[in-house]
Amino acid sequence: MPMYWTITPQAPGTVPGAFALAANDGAEYRLSLMPHLSMGPDGFVRIIGISALVLALPLLGVLGTPVLWGLLPFAGLALWALWYALSRNSAERRALREDLCLTKERIEITRTNPRKPAQHWEANPYWVRLNLAEKGGVIENYLTLEGNGRVVELGSFLSPEERAELYAELSHALRHLR
Amino acid sequence: MADAATHDHGHEDTRGFFTRWFMSTNHKDIGILYLFTSGIVGFIAVAFSVYMRMELMEPGVQYMCMEGASLTAQTDCTPNGHIWNVLVTAHGILMMFFVLIPALFGGFGNYFMPLQIGAPDMAFPRLNNLSYWLFVAGSALAVASVLSPGGNGQLGSGVGWVLYPPLSTTEGGYSMDLAIFAVHVSGASSILGAINIITTFLNMRAPGMTLFKVPLFAWSVFITAWMILLALPVLAGAITMLLTDRNFGTAFFDPAGGGDPILYQHILWFFGHPEVYIIIIPGFGIISHVIATFSRKPIFGYLPMVWAMIAIAVLGFIVWAHHMYTVGMSLTQQTYFMLATMVIAVPTGIKIFSWIATMWKGSVSFETPMLWAFGFLFLFTVGGVTGIVLSQAPIDRIYHDTYYVVAHFHYVMSLGAVFALFAGIYYWMGKMSGRQYPEWAGKLHFWAMFIGANITFFPQHFLGRQGMPRRYIDYPEAYALWNYVSSIGAFISFASFLFFIGIVFYTLKFGARITEKNYWNEHADTLEWTLTSPPPEHTFEQLPKREDWDKQAAH
Repeated sequence: MPMYWTITPQAPGTVPGAFALAANDGAEYRLSLMPHLSMGPDGFVRIIGISALVLALPLLGVLGTPVLWGLLPFAGLALWALWYALSRNSAERRALREDLCLTKERIEITRTNPRKPAQHWEANPYWVRLNLAEKGGVIENYLTLEGNGRVVELGSFLSPEERAELYAELSHALRHLR
Repeated sequence: MADAATHDHGHEDTRGFFTRWFMSTNHKDIGILYLFTSGIVGFIAVAFSVYMRMELMEPGVQYMCMEGASLTAQTDCTPNGHIWNVLVTAHGILMMFFVLIPALFGGFGNYFMPLQIGAPDMAFPRLNNLSYWLFVAGSALAVASVLSPGGNGQLGSGVGWVLYPPLSTTEGGYSMDLAIFAVHVSGASSILGAINIITTFLNMRAPGMTLFKVPLFAWSVFITAWMILLALPVLAGAITMLLTDRNFGTAFFDPAGGGDPILYQHILWFFGHPEVYIIIIPGFGIISHVIATFSRKPIFGYLPMVWAMIAIAVLGFIVWAHHMYTVGMSLTQQTYFMLATMVIAVPTGIKIFSWIATMWKGSVSFETPMLWAFGFLFLFTVGGVTGIVLSQAPIDRIYHDTYYVVAHFHYVMSLGAVFALFAGIYYWMGKMSGRQYPEWAGKLHFWAMFIGANITFFPQHFLGRQGMPRRYIDYPEAYALWNYVSSIGAFISFASFLFFIGIVFYTLKFGARITEKNYWNEHADTLEWTLTSPPPEHTFEQLPKREDWDKQAAH
């Protein structure tokens, strides 16, 4: 799941998501949420590798003839275009993320958008209300945080199951800090 | 973290007609545009072929005269082979580049691949728009090439769709240049579309949908995209060199200047053979879904089905010279290409038998899409079997450039790919339009087309065996009978095509409204069937739930 917890100071035996063990005093929870990306760096290497191999096949036959110079630019261009498209799309999808920082005094969320300015929200966790609308929300398992006079939404790019899981972990953390 | 109150939901579709269809970046709208545009171009290409069949109906030349092309038989007619050559060329170029790829890959690929993997749109929606308009521009150039000054002091160029030099390098006028540009532009369109589809498929699958859980149609589109990306740059390079040979005095391929025309053939077919699989593989994807749905069983052998498509794609790149056994290759080369070609029968056989096994003990019903799928299965197999006959280098010596070859590739393309296309249209028409076609009309269309196409192309096997060569306007008396029969078949097929156009417009205007999401049965289990018919403008902006798509026992 594209969801990473960092908890400092790291209490012995603490695993991300397990809050009960984290120290109450001075504990800081950091959570990063990002959209699912179905291809990793390995896949990228494999795709570019196989493409380069097959594109080289017709070039082998024309090595040493002037025709090579007619084919090479187009083969190179195609490979570059594939490279560029894959890396640009991955970068854009990674650019969208939500970072949550939670301490006893403050809860802070920053949403980084690919082409729009980042959005920011903060409140006192004591008064924050975490809500999961399983049905009837704008989307299924609609996860919202209410505080500081605003209602904000969390994890809209996660799947419904992931939002339910996030709700459980986050409410646990909030309860623990109060 | 968007503010909850400003969450963009609802999405009333407020776009006007112009905005929606001319500036579209929505993958579903672009898919529909592709389907309609390729339908229009397809009509032109079909009309050309009907005119050619009219000419071939009787020995002698009655329609394509020096005095002018006419639609009625002339008694005083000086044969005009140039018109014939132009029509053969245009029919080939239009069908290969501007009808089948845009319809199957551009149309259904755009519309249903993102839906089946649960993606909100293509990775690059504006690039998608560019691909579509490049395709339109290419089609316009291709049609313009038929109507602009060419060889023999007449309009259009008649060099065959393969554009072999020295014919293509010496053809007069600028018609040939327009044809080359047309292929360039459509190639650029296909490559950009392919990159878009590859990126979408790789990066935007729903969480948990690993590669071997992707529905077969999405897989087929991905494989097709990859083949386009790897084959079309080679063609682009080859025809660019033709262009410089024609206009800038180079001699890459022109033998008069020391170029090598056989090398052009190798490069052309290095693209050309993958091209025929580019056309047919999306059809494989459609047929898999149709057969599974109407057999009410999950597809038999999902994993072998995927690997068979991959194997066909890979083999497609290493068998090209079986199109050119007669150019004087060494015995070893011919042996290699012959054996490699025959190997393709193995993955193809895996697919055919898996489809049959899907139907085995299934609850098969014959709605219109299933009829087309059955037609596909039978006719594609016939075309495949004649393919194995032709793959043998010694036998190909006899059949090369005869009507046997024409019959073979029309059985796999015109009957295989087109039947898959129609299966897809009837399968998804209700999903795309929200209205259902009249069942009797779809069935009538099928039977008319099935009978017509078989009467057209089956006798061409006989003509080929009698030795009738391809690409000629006239023939001796001895071939008269089967040519006459073949032309009758072409007219029946054409009538069925006209009837189909009627069905489409009737359905869009008066077809019964569809209220269900899934109007077939629970074995149509991919994600597009969880959406309304037609789907809303924006789909899967929220990730789909796993239980909506993860249904196959094979997973």
